[in-house]
Amino acid sequence: MSKLGRKTLSILGRLLSSKGSALALIFLVGITLAAIFADFLPLNPVGQKLANALKGPSATNWFGTDELGRDILSRVIFGARTSLITAGGAVAIAALVGVPIGLVAGFFGGWRDAALMRFVDVLLALPAILFAMAMIAVLGRSQAAALIAVGLTGIPSFARITRAQVLTLRKRDFVTAVEAFGGTATYNMFRTILPNSWSPIFVQVVVLCSVAILLEAALSFLGVGVPPPTPSWGEMLRTGKSYLHEAPYYAVLPGIVLTLTILSFDVLGRALSGLLEGRRDPVIAPKVEEVTT
Amino acid sequence: MKTNLFRTLRRLGFLFLAATAPVAMGGTNWIAPAHAEEAALKGGTLRVALLSDMTNYDPQQFSTVNFHLVKNLYDSLIEYTAEGEAVPSLATAWQIAPDNTSVTVTLRDDVTFHSGAKLTSADVAATLAKAADPKRGKNVYATMSIVKDWTTPDANTVTINFKAPVPLRQITDLLQFTIPIEAAGIDTVETVPAGTGAYMLDSRAVGQGLTLKANPNYWRKGQPIAEKVDFTIFSEDASASAALESDAVDLIYGGTSRSAVRLKDAGYQMVRGPGPLVMVFRINSTRAPFTNAKFRQAFNYLMDREGMLRVGYAGLGEVVALPWAPASPAFNAAYTEEFAYNIDKAKELIAASGLTPAEMSNWKMLVWGNDEPSVVLSQILQSALAEVGINIELDVRQGAEYTEAQLAGDYDTTFGAVGNVQKFPSRVATNSIYRGVKNPVLKDPHPHADYVAAIAQVNTTSGPDEAVKASYDNLNRVLVNDAFAIPTNSYDTGLIVASPKLGGLSLDIDNLFVARTVGFQ
Repeated sequence: MSKLGRKTLSILGRLLSSKGSALALIFLVGITLAAIFADFLPLNPVGQKLANALKGPSATNWFGTDELGRDILSRVIFGARTSLITAGGAVAIAALVGVPIGLVAGFFGGWRDAALMRFVDVLLALPAILFAMAMIAVLGRSQAAALIAVGLTGIPSFARITRAQVLTLRKRDFVTAVEAFGGTATYNMFRTILPNSWSPIFVQVVVLCSVAILLEAALSFLGVGVPPPTPSWGEMLRTGKSYLHEAPYYAVLPGIVLTLTILSFDVLGRALSGLLEGRRDPVIAPKVEEVTT
Repeated sequence: MKTNLFRTLRRLGFLFLAATAPVAMGGTNWIAPAHAEEAALKGGTLRVALLSDMTNYDPQQFSTVNFHLVKNLYDSLIEYTAEGEAVPSLATAWQIAPDNTSVTVTLRDDVTFHSGAKLTSADVAATLAKAADPKRGKNVYATMSIVKDWTTPDANTVTINFKAPVPLRQITDLLQFTIPIEAAGIDTVETVPAGTGAYMLDSRAVGQGLTLKANPNYWRKGQPIAEKVDFTIFSEDASASAALESDAVDLIYGGTSRSAVRLKDAGYQMVRGPGPLVMVFRINSTRAPFTNAKFRQAFNYLMDREGMLRVGYAGLGEVVALPWAPASPAFNAAYTEEFAYNIDKAKELIAASGLTPAEMSNWKMLVWGNDEPSVVLSQILQSALAEVGINIELDVRQGAEYTEAQLAGDYDTTFGAVGNVQKFPSRVATNSIYRGVKNPVLKDPHPHADYVAAIAQVNTTSGPDEAVKASYDNLNRVLVNDAFAIPTNSYDTGLIVASPKLGGLSLDIDNLFVARTVGFQ
């Protein structure tokens, strides 16, 4: 097994040894698996039975039914798919754009650092929810638009964290050594510094997942998220709040699942942060022969 | 023998009188409840919850968001009872010419505007001039299309001349829609009210609320009962309900049907007016695939109207297949049965349309995201469409983004309400989708010549009764055949839910809020 594999297993073992993070991990794995394999389960999130509207939890409909007689549990599980895809896509966009920005800004410094960080400052100055709503107004209401909007709001955090990490590593001996052996700036950034910056970036991925899920839910709650009938937790909360008197379970149960998901990501993020912080040694040492060739 | 029979009949007569006396006495009570109740009501400050702010004080801006103000700041020439009978208001009499080509209106001579100026025929003439101006007439402009000109023989008389003989109901509709604005204030009426109503503007906080105070010179004796009316705007229906339940407000005007039903069950008063709106599925028949008549007609059968009414409006309203409320002279319940939800008939028409599945699914349904019932109705129809193999997307837009598209007619289909459904049938043509000319959706020339002709026939048929009925029947048949607008159900606009301590609650024929009769028990 490689060093990285052993390291991953070790971190996983330490995560599972803590009751809180183990529960969070199990919950997230469970909800992710349910979202992935939802198509193979006997669920129908869009099938309407108007005569069966707003029926409470029962053996047939564990979470009850909504105003159109649709099974709420089915919609919660398919809603998890919406949330996780949006979160995953948003984090990918944020990381793919934010990390290179942070790398370049931190590595080169000077005018490039100033220009890129001012751009990041502009993004940071915009309230995430307003910025996302403006983006959706431009792109139109769809899951892709929500994903891009949430992703763009995550760029500054990745850029800032990566830049801070690069500034710490930039003058370390192993980086200087690579430069001394003729390593190019690109090589140094992506092959030397970046592999040693993964820890905080990875923690940020987990943290941003919870932020992205929350933001996607907020957008749906405000009526600008994924269009109906696609299930979304935020949309269920939005509609469910109108039926709080007649059918409290309608908003409460999806709300609990949303809360637990965000809580799990948060617990996991904090646990990972604690585990990965304090380590200063490079995870992957640069191969000198690669540099000298 | 004869005497015995007479005695028996006399006894039976006494028995009948004894049995019917309580009913008769109760009947007397029932006939005049308003006066008896009004006398017992006390004044005070009436606190009213609203869900949206007004746009302006122009009574010709007949938007639902202004419905709480119009009949409090202004009076109309005549009013309708809930049964549709025309009764005097600012006009004491209206004399229709034998050939139905003019009406002469006599004004009350004891009415003053809020400014103190006396109401005269010059004010009515100025109001008619504004209404007839396409740029200033707003929602009354379409109604003025029948008017040729008007004269003011004296300060209390106005004669309105028509372009052609006009049916009686259309004349009274015009008078009911004519709300005199003080001539001196007509150019600033959007920002400064200039009416004769029972209440005057006291103060307004934009987006938060508005306060009216009693007009001390109001011409209706004993009214208004409440000295002040405080309107507070709530952003959420649930917040307004909570305010009523916690006694922070006395009444909710224009809340949702669902909340109203719940609050009624909890012991609050619910008042439904005679002027509902009708929800209509609007189809842009100038765009493919809706240029195909058979395809459009299939939508008559694709509406699960019962389900839509129950889920969208908590069952408050009636299912309809025509754009009429039951009070309309053109209402015909048989159509609701004929065009009941029937997937098989819809499939037959879809098959007869000759369209391919790809062509049939190549459109979007515009949805007003702020309106919960619209979202629900759209999803119910989307599901019914999926059942017949048509898979379409919902284009949900919020607020101004939706309104802009709707007013500009920039959509394939959308759900939207129409008003004036309880009045003269051709008044339906004041709603954008039903306009015969300058239709923002269907444009000019109107693609449905039969419909335009049917409206014209209704407008020009003033008798005999059989001919009038035939013109209504023709219009109804044309509406379902052309199928560019598919009605689903009527529902209450301006619904009132009030604390049990209030009395004298009523709505006018258009469900406008009338505060002058409301007081505390």
